[in-house]
Amino acid sequence: MTCDEARLAIGGDPASLTSELEEHLRGCAGCAGFRAEMLRLDAALRRAFEEPPDIRVAGARRAPLVRWRQWALAASVVVATLGAVGVWLLRPTDTLASEVVAHVRGEPQSWLATHNVSAAAIDHALKSSGIGLDVDSDKIMYAKSCWFRGHYVPHLVLQTAHGPATVLLLRHEHVKARDPFHESGMTGVIVPAGDGSIAVLERGGQGVDELAGELRQEVHWLPEPAPQR
Amino acid sequence: MRNSPPPSPVSYIGERLRGADARASITALFESLRPDLLRFAQWLARDRTIAEDIVQEALLRAWRSRDALKEAGAARAWLLTIVRREHARLYERKRLELVSLDEAAEIPDNAPAAGADGELAMLRYAIMKLPLEYREPLVLQVVGGFSTEEIAHELELTATAVLTRLFRARHKLRALCGTTALPDGGAPREEPA
Repeated sequence: MTCDEARLAIGGDPASLTSELEEHLRGCAGCAGFRAEMLRLDAALRRAFEEPPDIRVAGARRAPLVRWRQWALAASVVVATLGAVGVWLLRPTDTLASEVVAHVRGEPQSWLATHNVSAAAIDHALKSSGIGLDVDSDKIMYAKSCWFRGHYVPHLVLQTAHGPATVLLLRHEHVKARDPFHESGMTGVIVPAGDGSIAVLERGGQGVDELAGELRQEVHWLPEPAPQR
Repeated sequence: MRNSPPPSPVSYIGERLRGADARASITALFESLRPDLLRFAQWLARDRTIAEDIVQEALLRAWRSRDALKEAGAARAWLLTIVRREHARLYERKRLELVSLDEAAEIPDNAPAAGADGELAMLRYAIMKLPLEYREPLVLQVVGGFSTEEIAHELELTATAVLTRLFRARHKLRALCGTTALPDGGAPREEPA
């Protein structure tokens, strides 16, 4: 074995000691010293390898993976957005009912109205939303155009045989079928009416279906007025 | 394997591998080896996040082909091989561009400047700076415990080519750590693979 061969074997695998190499080392102090040094280096290497590298690698090598992660992040944002839009579009009517109740609770004075509303006020509340209503104005005790779910909607309180009933004419909300609800001491129903829907609420709730049925015949969805600035 | 794998819990799990709870045993076996695999992958990939991805993917592959594992004693080498191949596949798939660590790496701020710990930190840094062709056989040998023949088989090289790369790796480490040059002043000419 030559010194070159011995050093290749030692440098390649210092711990390995063949009989041929052993014989060479007995007669070659240089290679023996080299092996001792390599063994020391290997001991240090084993200690160094025990811990994972504590180093930050920046720049191009990492960039492709980061780009890949950015695409994954972007995709997840798109999926989340589509999901949120889907949930919004497919939101259950229970949510609509809850929002109707919340809106009515926000205007408690509407239940307390004792005087008829002027024809002009009724007209304003209805025409702001492009809605016609064939109902005796004497029954209407409260009329306001309210901002609800992104649109102005007529918020009316009608005097009935069972007491005051709140009515929201929702031309932009669509329900497939009658949706009764009972929440916060109010009993109500949302019914489909043409292209929109009508929400009727009462404290007692005995007459909501009757009133809703009447209103379905009396409401007219007119061409929607241009948005006011 | 030149270095014997850790005797426990691998050998203990091995006795149970063919038992009724083989699934649970293999899961436990994989989990017990995960830190080793992660360390191995980190030395190859030089990035913890990438290493975690590699190990995760490797364990998934290993789980799918777990029937190929006949005895628990062989699990470590088997999994390390899968990790190495996954690392190679990642670079092939993502076409990760290799750049010199001279330009890209930063020595950690808290690295000791002198003393035994400082020398160890310098050695780690030097290992990281090794090109993959030298670092990979060295990691396989020192961390993985693979013999020269096993490394040659894994890297599809001759045993002499592997020895040459390992020789050069150590030579470069000595140079990078600032120690004396080799007595004969150089590394051997690389043998064809």
